[in-house]
Amino acid sequence: MGFLLQFARGPLFRLCFIIMLLGLARILFLDFWGAQKVYRRAGDKKMPWRLIASRTFEWVFPVKRVFRNRQVYSFFSILFHIGLIIVPVFLFAHISLWKSSVGISWPALPYWWAFWLTAATIVFATLMLVERLVVKSIHSLSRGQDYLWLLLLLLPFVTGFVCANLNISAGVYQFLMLVHVLSGDLIFFMTPFTKIAHCVLAPFSQVIDALAWKFPPKTDEDICATLSKKGAPV
Amino acid sequence: MNRVQNTKLILWFLTGFAAAVALNRYVFGLGVTTNLSDRTPWGFWIGFDVMAGVALAAGGFVTTAIFYIMKREECHPMVKPAVLTAFLGYLAVVAGLLVDLGLPWNIWHMIIYWNPHSPLFEVGWCVMLYTTVLLLEFSPVPLEKFSRYARIRDFLMKFRFPLVLLGIMLSTLHQSSLGTLFLIMRYRLYPLWYSHILPVEFFISAVALGLMMVAFESLASHWLYRREPETHLVAKLCRAAAWVLAIYFVAKMTDITVSGKLGLIFDGKWQSNLFIVEVLVSTIIPAALFFVPKYRGNNKVQWIGSSMVVIGMVLNRIDVGGLAMLDSTASYTPSWMEIAISLGVVSAAVLVFLFAIENFHVWDIRPEDPESLPHTLPSFDYSSRTWLGIPSVASLTKHTLAFVLSFALGMALMSGNRLHAEGIDQITVKPATVVDSLCDTLCINGNRDDQFVEFSHEGHISRIGKDSCRVCHHLSLPGDKLSSCWECHTSMYKEVDFFKHDWHTSASGANLRCDDCHTPGVTRTAQSAKKCTACHPAYKFLADEKNATEKYYIPSYVDAMHKLCVSCHTVEAKKVKDKPNLAQCSTCHRIGTPPELKAGMKWDVTLPHFDNVVLPDVGQAGK
Repeated sequence: MGFLLQFARGPLFRLCFIIMLLGLARILFLDFWGAQKVYRRAGDKKMPWRLIASRTFEWVFPVKRVFRNRQVYSFFSILFHIGLIIVPVFLFAHISLWKSSVGISWPALPYWWAFWLTAATIVFATLMLVERLVVKSIHSLSRGQDYLWLLLLLLPFVTGFVCANLNISAGVYQFLMLVHVLSGDLIFFMTPFTKIAHCVLAPFSQVIDALAWKFPPKTDEDICATLSKKGAPV
Repeated sequence: MNRVQNTKLILWFLTGFAAAVALNRYVFGLGVTTNLSDRTPWGFWIGFDVMAGVALAAGGFVTTAIFYIMKREECHPMVKPAVLTAFLGYLAVVAGLLVDLGLPWNIWHMIIYWNPHSPLFEVGWCVMLYTTVLLLEFSPVPLEKFSRYARIRDFLMKFRFPLVLLGIMLSTLHQSSLGTLFLIMRYRLYPLWYSHILPVEFFISAVALGLMMVAFESLASHWLYRREPETHLVAKLCRAAAWVLAIYFVAKMTDITVSGKLGLIFDGKWQSNLFIVEVLVSTIIPAALFFVPKYRGNNKVQWIGSSMVVIGMVLNRIDVGGLAMLDSTASYTPSWMEIAISLGVVSAAVLVFLFAIENFHVWDIRPEDPESLPHTLPSFDYSSRTWLGIPSVASLTKHTLAFVLSFALGMALMSGNRLHAEGIDQITVKPATVVDSLCDTLCINGNRDDQFVEFSHEGHISRIGKDSCRVCHHLSLPGDKLSSCWECHTSMYKEVDFFKHDWHTSASGANLRCDDCHTPGVTRTAQSAKKCTACHPAYKFLADEKNATEKYYIPSYVDAMHKLCVSCHTVEAKKVKDKPNLAQCSTCHRIGTPPELKAGMKWDVTLPHFDNVVLPDVGQAGK
């Protein structure tokens, strides 16, 4: 167990974490690369920067935007996202691991903040899961991976919560810690290749969309020609 | 065009892998990435990246000499690729050297602080100048694509001939002076490779290798892009190479015979066998093949012969650059990270070569990707079973993925020990040896290397008093009256867990749960834990209790010892008149085996127990 734990938080962690970092950087790069290629050939190069900025802001801080429909689900979702990002990044134990291995550190959450935020994240994730199962409109929109992702994201939170707060014996602690680290590694590894990539793509989706829907000059005529409807209005 | 794309995929993978290693090399230093040491400072990187890299790039000056000086017009198709190969070869040498140099940011010193007596100075200058010349020689090709740079291009074209001449001159100088470097290593280099005419041998072999490298590059790139091979031209290069190889062989053998080393070739040592293999592969077999007109006109034989010369000559440079010195230096095997860096540098150079071939007029007709033609039907990617876009987009998607995955793999494979201790592995400390019956004198040699420190208890007590015991014995293990240094500072170079969590929580040990020591409802740190004395009431802290329990990790054996000894010795050195060198390394560290041990004693003797030792009063400890 000790060896497995060392492996999971040593080489395996390095592998998965770097795949996540570089993988996310890669898809951002590919997106912008493609968008700028389209933009360079575009006939109409005007960009509604103000609109893009306000829309991006609205989606990154979705206080106004998401409450238009499914208010309860959106509320759970927002709180879940806050916990999901803040707890792993600002947890004292995680920061001290970074400090001992790489030598960098940053301010940590106080103990009780971390405690309640983790608990809240677990609760809201569970509520979201229940809602996905129960509410018909959400259920019909869900795919298998939507349930799996919620469960997978719950796993490190639950195991981490138990390890950090409950008085358990060393054997149980080590096993749960192993599950904690392995599930974390799996999440890191899958992030750039699945829908979780929206963690970096979401803030740029408005810009990329606006850039990518720029057509080269005379595209409409080409489309008509391809459809053998030359001269028809587009 | 799968052949090119798949080759590029592999090259991107190797480049990403090397990038990860290079990052670690720059962040953590050479100790993390290489097996080089002070005794073997020149290893695989010098042999392969620098010596072989420069030799492999010799094709540039050889081809330009053939075309511009000897006016062999038929060689025209080979000139641009050869100059490009040479340019990229030198860039690879520079990149490899920047990884290998301990302080690469000081490389510019050579430009200002001249040392004209050093062959390395000449090599450095020649490499800098020749890389610049090659850049100027090759830059008209990419500049051709941009009409706004036409004037610069015309200007460079005017000076093409002087540049070519300068290039040939510089190459001649430093190809040979790479050999000159080793003239001062007469007693390190194995005699079969050492020779007074090493510079001449280096130059002749570089010419042969240059010819064969151009041939190999032509064969490989034409195979890659499925073009008709330039068999006729390559055959001419092979004929020239056969003659040069023959001259090289005669020169080498004459030198060995004249200097009386002929017998060494067949004495059965590994160096002799290596020498035989090297000469066979690099010289005899290819020369024999290429002297026969029927064979040198055959595409397959051209492949075999040119590869043999390339591999053989690279082996020769590696031999001279370090392999044939192993007996006189220390044992050294290149780490996988050294090999990864070298492969990555070569891969990156090949990628740039392919990029240049596809985007500029390096060849008279640029290779075209048949899949990018408008009438080609889209094909699915075989791994993801999807259409990844037009070929340029699909290759970008795949190549970046290969780079990311291999970079992560490279980081994952770095040894944790090396990373955390910045190059130093976990070494468990071995106890000091008591060399006299009164337990007075200790021989301290924690890692049992060739050095030891003698420590006399009596000598220290008589000089600085009995109270000084607690300076070293500042803390004892529970149940022990006087623990030794190595019992807590268990690692030679790394910080260690002072509390021994493993034992305290294990079922066979104290079987404790977290909250048995840590206060519930607070982050579990050393500060939130009970004091040791809560469970071990008899536990006596001889020194600073606060310091011991608040610091979760304690320093390594070496750091702990040095901190104690050196800080005290520095103060005492000023006080004591008869020992001015008290704080110097050699005062304590000796090399060899302690004289006391020679009387049949072993290093690893069992320590006697100290329970009967009367301790000084430590009631005021830590104040």
